[in-house]
Amino acid sequence: MTSHGPIKQTQKIKNEMIKTLLITCGLIALSAGLSFAETEVGKAAPDFSLSDTNGKTHSLAELKGKYVVLEWYQPDCPFVRKHYRSGNMQGLQKEYTAKGVTWLSIDSSAPGEEGNYPAAKLNEIATQDSASRTALLLDPSGEVGRLYGAKTTPDMYVIDPKGILVYKGAIDNKRSTDLADVKTATNYVKNALDASMSGKSVPTTATQPYGCSVKYASK
Amino acid sequence: MHTDRERKSLFRGLPVRISHCAIALFGFAMACAEPVHAQLYNGKELVTPSLVSDVTAIQPGQKFRVGVLYRIEPSWHIYWRYSGDSGLPTKIAWQVPPGFKVGDLQWPLPLREKEPGDLEVFDYTSEVLLFADIEAPAILPAQPIVIQAKTDWLVCQSLCVPGRAELSLTLAGGANTASSSAPIFQKFASLVPRQPAGPIALGFSRVGKNLVVSVAGVPNTEAVDFFPVPPEDAVIGHVTRGQNGLTIPIDTEVKPIDRMDGVLVVGSGDSRKGYEINGTTTLTAMKPVSAGASVGFLGILQMLGFAMIGGLILNVMPCVLPVISLKIFGFVSEAGMDPKKAFRLSMAFSSGIIGCFAVLAAIVVLLQAAGAQIGWGFQFQDPRFILLISCLVFAFSLNLFGVFELSVSAQATKGLASLAGGQGYGGAFFQGVFATVLATPCTAPFLGTASAFAFAQAGWVTFLVFLFIGLGMALPYLLLAINPGWLRYLPKPGEWMLRLKQGMGFLLVGTLLWLVWILGQMKGVDAVVQLGAILLVIAILAWIKGSFWTPVSTGRSRVLSIVAMAFVLLLSGAAYGFVTKPSQLVWRPFSKSTLDEALAAGKPVFIDFTADWCLTCKTNERFAIDTPSVRQEFLKRDVVALKADWTKGDPEITQILKQYGRAGVPMYLIYPSGLKEGQPVLLPELITSQSVLDALNKT
Repeated sequence: MTSHGPIKQTQKIKNEMIKTLLITCGLIALSAGLSFAETEVGKAAPDFSLSDTNGKTHSLAELKGKYVVLEWYQPDCPFVRKHYRSGNMQGLQKEYTAKGVTWLSIDSSAPGEEGNYPAAKLNEIATQDSASRTALLLDPSGEVGRLYGAKTTPDMYVIDPKGILVYKGAIDNKRSTDLADVKTATNYVKNALDASMSGKSVPTTATQPYGCSVKYASK
Repeated sequence: MHTDRERKSLFRGLPVRISHCAIALFGFAMACAEPVHAQLYNGKELVTPSLVSDVTAIQPGQKFRVGVLYRIEPSWHIYWRYSGDSGLPTKIAWQVPPGFKVGDLQWPLPLREKEPGDLEVFDYTSEVLLFADIEAPAILPAQPIVIQAKTDWLVCQSLCVPGRAELSLTLAGGANTASSSAPIFQKFASLVPRQPAGPIALGFSRVGKNLVVSVAGVPNTEAVDFFPVPPEDAVIGHVTRGQNGLTIPIDTEVKPIDRMDGVLVVGSGDSRKGYEINGTTTLTAMKPVSAGASVGFLGILQMLGFAMIGGLILNVMPCVLPVISLKIFGFVSEAGMDPKKAFRLSMAFSSGIIGCFAVLAAIVVLLQAAGAQIGWGFQFQDPRFILLISCLVFAFSLNLFGVFELSVSAQATKGLASLAGGQGYGGAFFQGVFATVLATPCTAPFLGTASAFAFAQAGWVTFLVFLFIGLGMALPYLLLAINPGWLRYLPKPGEWMLRLKQGMGFLLVGTLLWLVWILGQMKGVDAVVQLGAILLVIAILAWIKGSFWTPVSTGRSRVLSIVAMAFVLLLSGAAYGFVTKPSQLVWRPFSKSTLDEALAAGKPVFIDFTADWCLTCKTNERFAIDTPSVRQEFLKRDVVALKADWTKGDPEITQILKQYGRAGVPMYLIYPSGLKEGQPVLLPELITSQSVLDALNKT
């Protein structure tokens, strides 16, 4: 600089563009982190950690290297009942957990809402249904449900061993509560798992889920 | 019990449901039936469907209407043909005698409603008629003519119950007269969306992942909405209203979507009108909307022009203007007798400035790409993005007003200064960098805002915009180096620069206003108030920073200011939690009948007369009613908690308030268990958990 005047003047104010940028970036990162990002197929499934009905904690990060199915669950929903009374859901759970898939059902019902039961009651229902899931996770705050943008019960997510979401949406293409539809329906979850596990590309990667709304807490 | 045939002859022309308990009294019929799947919930039939026609008898070739009228229990709903995030469309399968032609099912305009968790559904409440036009053949078949409808529905409140009914209607041939159901057909037919007509025109355009619906011919004062009916294989998000029209986020599409069926809704409340948009609707070519990546060539040119002007304006900022003449004199004296060298030096200096902006652009583009990688979309259709930008713009406007300065260590400044100390072109280049960095106290608010907006643009647009801001900022040096004599036209530095800077702050507040408006359009008044609260916190933080953490502040003052900021954040977090925390008590909405029902069941009842705008009510609810001890007592005594919401001045509630000599809320009534007659306990306006418990125990 040819003169020290302006330098002194500005040094007094002491400022730096990099810092401004850092603040900007920080603010952006902060608020984006606070708000919930909806999951996208082909991207990493967001990590979460929840305890199950037996008090054991499960986190997605620990399940790297395995296929993971997330099933949004609410025992009293007629759509969920359709897939349990027909044996469809248990069948899938049994078949794929035997193939090493981790099957996590998640109950995001808020306290006081339908489907928010004590863990013991949920275990009792699981026994009655002869459910073959890996675990039933409790998400009464709805935090993980919102993180994934889960809308209905059931709402299904298939995550590959790299932690990438390969399918999200409806369990099958027959949007009804009719038990008989299960037999004739195209099961998207089964298709996604079969294709992905045999190294093929998943035929349908995202569909509009159908069912009861997830019983999030009303604001 | 009559046989089916007997009933048909008895009930000719009247609506009859296949039923186990049809009651016939001297030829008068009452539609009393049990659906195939009884759908009782707490002893109530949630949906009562009946098959009706607008005529009593039909003539050959005649067109008439049949429909299923669903009567729905209060607070329950059934779904439209696109149910939204959850639920299931109501279905009707018709069965008509050979020769009869059934038209498409007609759907009256549904409601667009929110459920907890930001879920959205399209539904009907209380009563709806779904109907179809039927055309009779030229020769009527043997009578009686039986029309059957199998209907499936899902009825939901917070929980859902599926229902199904098989209904049948017998019509005779003959001179037709309007049936008693004709007014119902008239009522619901008027609610069925019609073809867009008159000045109303509609166009679709694709902007990245969004399908934008532009609407013309609707007065600005009218609300506009679009209820989509997406293809089966597509997944879409919620329709939002923005400044460019309506936006439908397309999450998944199998075939590219460039238009969508649905209903354009104009107006609000009871005066809503629906316009059917389908494959045959003629679309108007809309001028491309200037949002996000869809900016046309001219739009880009315009943007670059503004960027350059913006860069030029940066020169009159207090920390920039004094430097210009110094620099020019410097170049002239270094170049000596060679005016070309002075120009080349200022070129090198300008490249330093532009280089800085290129780096800034690169950072923005990289961040944007990194964000996109992990699934953050930066776009104006995203309310979170709007929220973030609003916060930034507001913080920067406070900065311009002088509430706080952005200050940091002098080390980096020193480092740059030593680089810029050299002579020659290299030295001039770094002086350009240096000058740009030193100017940031005044330029950061603008560059920060520009960066934030740039996040919503394509990478190359961002890059160009920043280069042009740099060019604009470097322009005076380039021009003045050609003829230093022009320096005399340069305005003299002075206090006016400070005032100008502050004035620019108002410009940013104006920008903020625009952002708030967009957010309000998308998310409503609650979101705007939430944003306001966040801005308030930002203002307080900025004020603490500006007052107690300046370059001359002592270490103690700085520590205290950090503590104060943490305290403010904590306090505002707690306040947010307080305001938005859902009640842990299970409240039921108050009505005279719910009260009578609970009393008849011999249950104790607590009624909370409240309103959203009543602070005392909210405080009482949080600190006196929704407390562990009261919750426990309510549970133990099986108290029915009723909430009488007077937010909108419900007349039934007003009357009860008067009855107890109150002009307003809060008011609390406790009906002890077993009290069928007599007076409930009236609690004072200010209550504690103890006074609630005492009142309960007194009984």
